[in-house]
Amino acid sequence: MRQTWTFVIFGAFSVLLLTGSALSAEALAQKIDAVLFAKPPSQAEDAEFLRRVWFDFDGGIPTADEARAFLADKTADKRTKLIDKLISAPRFAVRMADAFHVMLMERRGDNEAWKAWLVESFKTNKPWDAMVREMLAPDFLDEKQRGAGYFITRRLEKVGQQDTDYPGLTRDVGRMFMGIDLQCCQCHRHLSVSDYKQIDFSGLYSVFQNLKLQPADDKHKTPWLSEGLIAAKYEFVSVLTDKKAQTAPRIPFGEEVMIPVSTGDDAWLVKPDRKTKEVGQPKFSPLREIAQRVPAPENALFAKNIANRVWFLFIGKGIVEPLDLHHTENPPAHPELLDLLAKELAAHHFDLRWLIREIALTQTYQRSGAHQRHLTAEQQLRAFLIATVERERLEKNPKPDVKVDALKYNLADFEKAFAAALANPAKEPELAANPSLRSALFLRNSDHVQWALKPRTGNLIDRLARQTDPVEDLYLTVLTRLPDAEEKAQLKSWIAAHADDKSKALGDFAWALLSSTEFFVNH
Amino acid sequence: MNPLCSPRDHTLSRRAFLGGGLGLLASPLFAEAMKQRDKQVLFVWLDGGMSQLETWDPKPNTEFGGPFRSIPTSVPGIHFGELMPKLAKQMHKLCVVRSMSTKDNAHSSGVDRIQRGDPKNRGVPYPHFGAGVAKLLGPGTSGLPPYVWIKPGSGGFRAEDAGFLGPKYGSLAFGDGKPPDNLLRHPDISAEQDAARNELRQMLDQRFAKQREKRVVEANASVFDMAEKLMARADIFDTSKLPERDRDRYGRHDLGQHMLVARQMLEAGVRFVKVTSYGWDTHGDHFNSQTTMVPKFDQAFSAMLEDLESSGLLKTTLVICLSEFGRTPRINGHVGRDHWPEAWSIAMAGHGVKHGMVVGETNERGTEVKSQPFDIGAAFHTWYQALGIDSHKVEFDNAGQPLPIAHDDMLPIKEALA
Repeated sequence: MRQTWTFVIFGAFSVLLLTGSALSAEALAQKIDAVLFAKPPSQAEDAEFLRRVWFDFDGGIPTADEARAFLADKTADKRTKLIDKLISAPRFAVRMADAFHVMLMERRGDNEAWKAWLVESFKTNKPWDAMVREMLAPDFLDEKQRGAGYFITRRLEKVGQQDTDYPGLTRDVGRMFMGIDLQCCQCHRHLSVSDYKQIDFSGLYSVFQNLKLQPADDKHKTPWLSEGLIAAKYEFVSVLTDKKAQTAPRIPFGEEVMIPVSTGDDAWLVKPDRKTKEVGQPKFSPLREIAQRVPAPENALFAKNIANRVWFLFIGKGIVEPLDLHHTENPPAHPELLDLLAKELAAHHFDLRWLIREIALTQTYQRSGAHQRHLTAEQQLRAFLIATVERERLEKNPKPDVKVDALKYNLADFEKAFAAALANPAKEPELAANPSLRSALFLRNSDHVQWALKPRTGNLIDRLARQTDPVEDLYLTVLTRLPDAEEKAQLKSWIAAHADDKSKALGDFAWALLSSTEFFVNH
Repeated sequence: MNPLCSPRDHTLSRRAFLGGGLGLLASPLFAEAMKQRDKQVLFVWLDGGMSQLETWDPKPNTEFGGPFRSIPTSVPGIHFGELMPKLAKQMHKLCVVRSMSTKDNAHSSGVDRIQRGDPKNRGVPYPHFGAGVAKLLGPGTSGLPPYVWIKPGSGGFRAEDAGFLGPKYGSLAFGDGKPPDNLLRHPDISAEQDAARNELRQMLDQRFAKQREKRVVEANASVFDMAEKLMARADIFDTSKLPERDRDRYGRHDLGQHMLVARQMLEAGVRFVKVTSYGWDTHGDHFNSQTTMVPKFDQAFSAMLEDLESSGLLKTTLVICLSEFGRTPRINGHVGRDHWPEAWSIAMAGHGVKHGMVVGETNERGTEVKSQPFDIGAAFHTWYQALGIDSHKVEFDNAGQPLPIAHDDMLPIKEALA
């Protein structure tokens, strides 16, 4: 007997040990909570957590059945299981591609090759430093990489009579990959940020103003970039002091890249030739140099920037805000936390999926009353179509036909309409929920919204109209939660007051839920 | 504002009289209503650069004067180009400044510089005049957006117009003079149903606001309110119901019909209405294109001035018409005129400015300003002061940093202020 007990106790102890070792793999999650909270924050209800993690990882909301199954699940580790299920689903790569597309391109336009590159990168969990290397200096002859080139090529397209926006590209490289906005340093030292000097802008600018956007041709399937010859340092003048200075290609706050001394034919890998229209390729490529130095572990801001941006995406608030204003006079809200995330991420070879999973496992992520995150137009569309149970019909419709109600629209029509109504204007960071007149009019009057709320075989309104008591299904489907007593009574009296047409009454009630603030938020 | 009426204020236009306006205009109630009425602005922007030489400041029979004659206006001694016969008859309502001398001769930067009033560089983008007015005078009581822009091409909300004032003061652009997408109630939804479900939405939101941050719910409520108000005033976009005569008077072209929409907007109480006409950048075949462009402007702008006067709105509305610069006196090899910020004209009318006068003059060949030159900052001071805003004292608040509303080294054009 005694022996048995010893065995049992020993067995339990070994289980604890095992769990302990499993936990040490999750150490970052615990370390994060330890930095932020002396005692654990109160945790979100299951329904709130479910909706949050679904929006963050899948990009939409769960169906009523998925919600019911999760709420009914009594196992202790169901949240971790759900996180693991969603993070390994194909949707995760699509959702990440959407989030990074909006963040990196700021609604400058869509591009198939770019989207495909993003999805593939997240699908294969390409490390962030590798992604950035490909965006900064893509091999345009490599089918797998050329989509990454859109980050630069789109920004170098000429708009009207304006000059090619080399300063804008320089600024965005700083903002997106190092979290610093050097715009003001184009002409002089930054007036309010003492860390940012004109040389920090100029060192990067000298590299990017040396690029030339080339149109797609037989060899290149997409527009591509050629580099000119850089043989001397770049000279710049401060408009404030008229003082001249010069710099070789250089990443902000870094060391200058040595410009090789080579002249004439020696300088070229491929010589330019007017007759054959060969633009030439110099041996020294400042772009490739920069593309190695920006995403390097030695560049502390590179890791901090992406850690902060991922934190922002999944927590709803940056540790440094604005996201592109890291400098000593704008310290992080939690310096320890940012250091921890940046160091661990670099140590894990910039594995974003690992970081995201760790963040999702924290009590910080799973707490109640989390920050509200911005939802992209893509997320809002997916949520809307899952809620109205019209997604599959639209996805399966290859050819819209306005004369047949069920075939009136396809997914592309809805994507276009939702982006037009709900996305931010181009070239602005899309960071906060931004309701507009346009979005209000769209929800209230558009045919798309109206169409989805008409009863149609298998959709939400059709399904609800067949039920004697549809309130639970309605709330679970649209808001991923059960209604309280007051809400139950409200729907009942609404239907009673509009008894002549139950489908219409349900459609109107569903419209009010879908247009309410609660539907388009992710806490 | 000068509380004393000038004799002209008592002159009833023939149109108002015939239109049955007499009773209305004479009633003390109307007079009271006029006093209460908010100040408004009509801002006509001729994009690309209107030629001062073919319009406000003709130099016939001179080296650079071009082929057109000049004609007398309703104010003795003042002449316009012959392509503006209708506006010539309205000169007594206008104040033309012929001594503008600005700095930027590129469209890309000039448009921005002129519309932002070219303040000293503070490292932040300044608001366009419309955004500044929207901020300083507020949206008024109409419930409509304070800064509306009627233009050819695409519409939408232009937050960047507001600069550091923040997106709230951006312009709501009505592309091709058309209302925003989805303005009208869906044909399948009855008015009653629409109102009922919207009320339900508000109820749900108010309940949600009790548990969550109010801010987001409030932001949502405000855009739905704005949508509601615009939907209720969908009529102001509908020029098809206006008398055919009005549509003809303004001209059956973009600028004419857009000006008519602008009139509706002003009548509905929108604080600041901008009307843009594109295509004034005539580097080649300038004189032929002037014969079609200028008369369209002449027709639309003069019809607007007539109507604003007969409705009484001209008393409370500051009217401004300008471009990013004028055009070169020298005629280039393509029989065109190029960009000329050195010496050009702007026209004003209505509230706060003098009527029937010309300020400043250019030299005989029209190449330089002969009198005191005015940069755009001076015009901004003039406009703000015409609206009763002390442009030297009132400041913008850029996140705690006070910034002058107009270039702090410049003064208003005193001669132009009433």
